[in-house]
Amino acid sequence: MICPRCDTDKVELMAKSPVGNAWEMYICKTCTYSWRSTETPNKTDPKLYNAKFKIKPESIPSMLVIPPVPPLKG
Amino acid sequence: MSEAGLKDIQIPSGKTGSTKAYHDLRSFLATLEAEGQLVRVKDEVDPEEIGAAGRASANLKNGPAVLFEKVKGYANPVVTNVHGSWANHALMMGMDKDTPVKEQFLELSRRWDLYPVGPKRVTNAPVNENTVTENINIFDIISLYRINTYDSGCFLSKACIVSADPEDPTSYGKTNLGTYRMQVKGKDKLGIQALPFHDIGLQLSKAEALNQPVPIAICLGCDPITTFMASTPIRYDQSEYDYVGALNNGVPMEITKSATLGLEIPAGCEICIEGYIEPRLRECEGPFGEFPGSYSGARLQAVVRITAISYRTNPVFENLYLGIPWSEIDYLMALNTSVPLYKMLKDTFPEVQAVNAMYTHGIGVIVSTKVRFGGFGKAVAMRLLTTPHGMAYNKIIIVVDEYVDPFNLEQVMWAMTTRVDPDKDVSIIKNCPGMPLDPSSNPPGMHNKLIIDATTPKAPEVVSRETELLTPPAGTEKWEGIIAQLVKAARK
Repeated sequence: MICPRCDTDKVELMAKSPVGNAWEMYICKTCTYSWRSTETPNKTDPKLYNAKFKIKPESIPSMLVIPPVPPLKG
Repeated sequence: MSEAGLKDIQIPSGKTGSTKAYHDLRSFLATLEAEGQLVRVKDEVDPEEIGAAGRASANLKNGPAVLFEKVKGYANPVVTNVHGSWANHALMMGMDKDTPVKEQFLELSRRWDLYPVGPKRVTNAPVNENTVTENINIFDIISLYRINTYDSGCFLSKACIVSADPEDPTSYGKTNLGTYRMQVKGKDKLGIQALPFHDIGLQLSKAEALNQPVPIAICLGCDPITTFMASTPIRYDQSEYDYVGALNNGVPMEITKSATLGLEIPAGCEICIEGYIEPRLRECEGPFGEFPGSYSGARLQAVVRITAISYRTNPVFENLYLGIPWSEIDYLMALNTSVPLYKMLKDTFPEVQAVNAMYTHGIGVIVSTKVRFGGFGKAVAMRLLTTPHGMAYNKIIIVVDEYVDPFNLEQVMWAMTTRVDPDKDVSIIKNCPGMPLDPSSNPPGMHNKLIIDATTPKAPEVVSRETELLTPPAGTEKWEGIIAQLVKAARK
């Protein structure tokens, strides 16, 4: 399975619906995007995911850090 | 939840016009329902429809809370838009649902001065009826859903998060209650946005310097004033719980120990998630549709590991929609932003009459004040920019004379159009702290500030010509009564 947002294949099953077999939820271990199997294709299909919200995996390490990690004391 | 279980979440019957303090969410929902300010959706809904319903209800004048009894694939119900109208806001305070906003401001201001009202500590709180510490799966208990289309996942948008000061963990005053967005990242894992100027950001920084985790209790579905207080800016060493008692008109809040970590939490909450913020770890989080009406960017943010979940039997998941103002979140950062800023200003400048900081959590503020001498209005605005909340949030400040009602935007525009000389009354203060979620903050967290002094000039400022205000002609009040009667008769 491919992440709709960052197009990597490090996707895991996060949860199954607790009642019935209504849906599954998946999460991308690269960009932490998650989606439900029953959502519309613009949220689940890598080809239809809005390009403005796509993430390149190589950009993640240089994202703004909030809050900054302080220096260790002692 | 079974059909029989659903019946168990029947909320108790409320009393119209009650001034009681609410100790849990369910009793408030009962009042909302009795007042016509809560509707139930009995048919099963898809989880991702709940955000749309929250948006839709906020679009209505005095839109109701919406309770979803059956959410596809989940066991438990969801309620949204609980605070999402001025009617619900007034009912939260035990006032008539038609109470005007300025009257709600004045009442809140009066109750604010009752602080501190210490809490009542209780045992056997309903939230501790059920506790899970092994094989934790948040989806089993909470009916999670994506709020806006390009949110990076399901978010808790209305959680009341309890955390202690790492250097002073037993300090009651320094124990923080705050609302911070949380992204669901696994069955037992969450992301948290802890901005540096938030109290929890301060606590996290202290703990991370020592490479220690921060124990937290994430409380969902609290009584309405507790949720309101969790998004109210107060001093770091002041207790939100003592303010809840004050805002409930002197009725002490009920608190209890969380099931495993022993943090003091709101006893009436529906669900309490306990866990730790992992030290010195950041992970991709967001974007999330935020209160300025636009998506935040994706950032590297802190991570929470869940160690226990406690909950009332058949817990109701309370969450809010946030989008282009106004939506539910705006009611949770309107008067509770205005009153503390008013109190801080009033403490220094008794001349200040009222503060309207209802616009995007105080990014826009209107202050009405008496003016003692030239430049006074600008000085009041500068003081606002040095308050703990104003420093980061307040960006556009309009100062008006004491006879201008800052909650009446028509009057404010009158003051702006007839008092402001753009050459001398408009000031820009460069390179100040800013609110990073404001998309015009550049870089995120920095901002230039705008002060518009729309007060009438006073000496020693050069007063080029005197301003004589119009007063209502004699008999206006009498005619207001006559015309009102004629209108009433004409509409019969």
